[in-house]
Amino acid sequence: MQQTEDLSFSDFIASSIHDMKNSLNIQVGFLEHLMHSYHDKVDSSTLDQLGHTIYEAGRMNVNLVQILSLYKLGNSIYPIDISERSVTEVLEEVVLQNQSIMKHKGIEIIVDCAPSHYWYFDRDLVGGVLVNALNNAYNYTQDKIRIAADIRDGQLEIRVEDNGKGYPARMLNENVDCNKGINFSTGSTGLGFYFSSRVAAMHKNGERQGVLTIENGGAYGGGCFVLTLP
Amino acid sequence: MTISLSQSSTLVIDDFQSMRSMIMGFLKSMGVTNISNVGTAREALELLSSKKFDLVICDYNLGQGQNGQQILEEARHKRYIGHSTVWMMVTAEKTMDMFMGAAEAKPDDYLLKPVTEAMLSSRLNKLFEKKRTLEPVEKAVKSRNYAHAIKLCEAQLATPSANTQELQRIKSDLLINSGDFATAKTFLGGLLAVRNIPWVKTSLGKVLYLSKDYLKARELFEEVLQENKMYLEAADWLAKTLDALGENALAQSVLEKAMALSPNATQRQQSLADAALKNGALELAQSAYEKAIKLGEFSVHKNAATFAGLAKVLTVQDDPEQALKILSRSRSEFKDDAAAALQTAVAESLAHYKLGDTEQALVSLQEAEALIGASEQDTSVGTTLDMAHMMFQLGQKEKACGLLESVVRNNHENRSVLQRVETAFEDAGMAEEGLALIQKATKEVIDTNNQGVALANEGKFEEGIRLIRKALQAMPNNDLMMTNLCGMMIGTMHRTGKDDRMLFEAGELLERVSRINPVNKKYHQYVTLLGKMSATD
Repeated sequence: MQQTEDLSFSDFIASSIHDMKNSLNIQVGFLEHLMHSYHDKVDSSTLDQLGHTIYEAGRMNVNLVQILSLYKLGNSIYPIDISERSVTEVLEEVVLQNQSIMKHKGIEIIVDCAPSHYWYFDRDLVGGVLVNALNNAYNYTQDKIRIAADIRDGQLEIRVEDNGKGYPARMLNENVDCNKGINFSTGSTGLGFYFSSRVAAMHKNGERQGVLTIENGGAYGGGCFVLTLP
Repeated sequence: MTISLSQSSTLVIDDFQSMRSMIMGFLKSMGVTNISNVGTAREALELLSSKKFDLVICDYNLGQGQNGQQILEEARHKRYIGHSTVWMMVTAEKTMDMFMGAAEAKPDDYLLKPVTEAMLSSRLNKLFEKKRTLEPVEKAVKSRNYAHAIKLCEAQLATPSANTQELQRIKSDLLINSGDFATAKTFLGGLLAVRNIPWVKTSLGKVLYLSKDYLKARELFEEVLQENKMYLEAADWLAKTLDALGENALAQSVLEKAMALSPNATQRQQSLADAALKNGALELAQSAYEKAIKLGEFSVHKNAATFAGLAKVLTVQDDPEQALKILSRSRSEFKDDAAAALQTAVAESLAHYKLGDTEQALVSLQEAEALIGASEQDTSVGTTLDMAHMMFQLGQKEKACGLLESVVRNNHENRSVLQRVETAFEDAGMAEEGLALIQKATKEVIDTNNQGVALANEGKFEEGIRLIRKALQAMPNNDLMMTNLCGMMIGTMHRTGKDDRMLFEAGELLERVSRINPVNKKYHQYVTLLGKMSATD
């Protein structure tokens, strides 16, 4: 009995989120339109505010997409499409989506991946994971982010590294997929990590399964977000 | 010739004016100058039919009426757009039909909202590059030079690229369409050994199905669905396979589950209705046909067979009045469509007869006879069998037997069709007589064919051609006869030189063969030979 109630509640939430996402897209579309039509007609501080509003709306959209995807993955109705893709292309697209805001904050971001790397994954899900990782890095880095990919031990390893203080020891000792990150006072919901580890686990090849890990160090000695796909 | 992005003639389809002007703004700053825009599906199709576009950017959800997917299907179906047109779907949410199923039904790519200029530009540039690289392959496929197309695919596949999967799919489809199942099996098996990929496993299942290895095909389709229940293309093939295995009830339940997961698939809804009718699940058949009619309203898959199917269910369920109402709707929806008129007339005859109105039943039947005689189209076996049934009912035994014989002659190698003809004879209470007629008709076809082959072997092509041409009048849909006639024409031309009229006739025959039996083994060989022959002076 309990279970059916849970199910109908999550169905209800999912359909509301779908609706919210549509409204949000119309808002973002209009804001982009404003930005486009008025960028040479208004002062720079108004433009900055508009840019930040679009960024916040984008963050909201990312969260809604994650919740909706999790709902669909949970019910095995996500249209998953694991196919061979250029790794560089996906990394570059993720950077493209965040370029203006990074530039605005003076963050230098580099992509480090051989163009000859092709791998099997769902473009939208992995893109979503990386956008989320980049958002985190954006919040914690001083001024540098590196997004790199290589093939190690027959698996694809994608790393998002920053030059911030790194993850606190408490987080490194926990499983990242545990929902312990929820903290209403800091605004950290843990949703991003949960989503990311679910997506990692959706990628399977033979006996192997994708994993998400976090560590400190990397090229800049800061936090590292590591997605490994078989 | 694929042109560059900035030179391309572009159409933007979105129901929101602000979205259209935003995307047009993006395009302008990419250097695109030739841009049209529309807000509804109707306007979009009107424009697509009258003007050539190199790039279409289309919103998936357009409110009332057709959605973006249905516009794409109709535009491809009616050849408003060709292989070189880049179709980009813009959508709030990813759906299966954007990357699954037949190439004709898929957009080149989709972009999730919100759309930014950087993303749009990056994707479009890549798509134009991809079109350029694949152009030689598409050209070879279009001119039906499959062997050459396969060679081109293999050359490009030698180095991994962004097109690898596309090339693998094209190569696999070419091997399957040209009936080279052994090579297709090796190729797909090789891919599967490296990684378990749903489309590869599904394609291998298709090869097994087409080689009539139904048990192994079933196993593969079931595996795909177990691993990924949203991969519904595998469900469609599993249903077909179960049907071929005689597991009709299971086929129906597979389609029912698939419909629950993806409720807007018109063709699958029709398949479900047909399966339910076959199983005698009349209530389900009725509701499935009704849904299929509703779904098909804005689709190119709108089909008179759906209306005829619903009418048949209603007739069987003792509601022939309602059946006639549906059929009169079908008449007005499919004006000037001879094949539709034939299906409608046959279903009307069944309904009138059920009402006890023998006179009207006869009138409808006569209309059907006139249509089947005049029809250039290939009439479905189901419609022909229904017609024979009515002839028996109305005491026209001889005509019915003649019609059933023609079904046998046209399908003498198709066991499931022969089985249905046998059942039709049994239902008319002439099982033994029917069996003898089936054997006689089959023997006639085989004898004529052997005679033709013998004449060809002696080099008497002209005589062979006369014989088969005459025989084809009695069995216009027999693909074995058609390919043999083609072979003899090619033989004649080898000896006496190219003849434009013969080339044309042979080409038309092969077109029909590929429609009637897409996996005819000689089809590919003859298409290649004809292609070479017409290229010489």
